[in-house]
Amino acid sequence: MNSKLKVKVNKSQVIEVDPGQPQTLLEALEQAGVETRYHCRSGFCGACRTTLISGEVEYINDPLAYMRPQEILPCACKAKTDLEIEH
Amino acid sequence: MRYSTFNQTNVNPLGEPMFFGNPVNVARYDQQRHSIFEKLIEKQLSFFWRPEEVDVSRDRVDFQAMTDSEKHIFISNLKYQTLLDSVQGRSPNIALLPIVSLPELETWIETWSFSETIHSRSYTHILRNLFSDPAKVFDDIVMNDQIRKRATDISKYYDDLIFYTQLWQTHGEGTVEVEGETYQVSVRDLKKKLFLCVNSVNALEAIRFYVSFACTFAFAEREIMEGNSKIIRLIARDENLHLTSTQHIINLWQYGDDDPEMKEIAEECREEALEIFTSAVEQEKGWAEYLFENGSMIGLNKDILCQYVEYIANLRMAAIGFEPQYDQTSNPLPWMNKYLVSDNVQVAPQEAEISSYLVGQIDSEVSAGDFGDFDL
Ligand code: FES
Ligand SMILES: [Fe+2]
Ligand SMILES: [Fe+2]
Repeated sequence: MNSKLKVKVNKSQVIEVDPGQPQTLLEALEQAGVETRYHCRSGFCGACRTTLISGEVEYINDPLAYMRPQEILPCACKAKTDLEIEH
Repeated sequence: MRYSTFNQTNVNPLGEPMFFGNPVNVARYDQQRHSIFEKLIEKQLSFFWRPEEVDVSRDRVDFQAMTDSEKHIFISNLKYQTLLDSVQGRSPNIALLPIVSLPELETWIETWSFSETIHSRSYTHILRNLFSDPAKVFDDIVMNDQIRKRATDISKYYDDLIFYTQLWQTHGEGTVEVEGETYQVSVRDLKKKLFLCVNSVNALEAIRFYVSFACTFAFAEREIMEGNSKIIRLIARDENLHLTSTQHIINLWQYGDDDPEMKEIAEECREEALEIFTSAVEQEKGWAEYLFENGSMIGLNKDILCQYVEYIANLRMAAIGFEPQYDQTSNPLPWMNKYLVSDNVQVAPQEAEISSYLVGQIDSEVSAGDFGDFDL
């Protein structure tokens, strides 16, 4: 159940995340050395807005910034399934 | 249509558009068409802070040690921010409240504008600590050409919307003559003015503060003017939330989740909206140039600041559905982010000191003559 999930970033890099950890997707990206965009880190400014190509995320913090249907706020969510994203 | 402070027709709040529907009657939040605005209200209230809680007394010594060009940068930025918050502390109320139709949005507008008045009061708090008489700084805001130029651009969309709304509310649609001038009034045209106005406010919240923010945080990186930087961090956190609200409004319109006529207008005025944004970007770059005309400051120069404006502008434009317009795709000032993280901002009571008390203390150590030759 607690197996790692794969997140494919910007069509190239693939990182692994542990869904059992409280870590946000943004933190996971940073840990893997991806150059990230952010300001508030708590879901209200939209600076980290990212395109979700496939997969599902779950929100840890209520996201307040506007999101179009294919967008996610990695500072406020974590992976629920394997993901492909464009950050 | 005449404004009524309590419209007695029974309206269904779920069926109303954000603006130009029926005036709001009952301030009720049990049924919400766009519940995001109540979430923003809650967030804004949770951010509440008072300038007096932040001790700025140590900044006075730092300020005196600055070079003249650094003083110019610091004071000019405060003047510009004072202008921006003077406008924002009143205009959302005056321009948008008469035409808003949803209770949650009405209250958001009031909450938003109120938070801008805290920003205004904080500039006086900062300046009082630096000068025994800050009047000269404030007086220059309406005389300084660089600031006036920006003031015109910022206020014109608001003023236009306010004026035509007044005509509409007193005369209705059609041709109106006032003081020998003829005006055409229609709701469609008012909606267009509203769309442009919100785009201009969006650009203001999105990028107009960031040149000054970058200078403030560059001083903080050198561990000077830290009281000021603490206040600006609180302001920056608020501005990011305001920006989210204007992005929501624009996107609700353009993706057809509100008034269908506003969707048409968003399409029709797309070029004009883009132009409003890019001209704000150019003005900000011009501001960076003005700041550094007397020399630069450690850690920042005009070029890197302009790159930062472009980087931020790209993000902000993407948020309202525009293609990024600038080449700068990576952050040229990575340290900026740590000042914009909202969790790092705290006005912990144990840290906060009563600044009026401390200002008195500093006063006794420093005489006015020590910074008497600084020229505003
Ligand atoms: S960093 Fe602000 S919403 Fe993610
Ligand atoms: Fe403000
Ligand atoms: Fe604001």
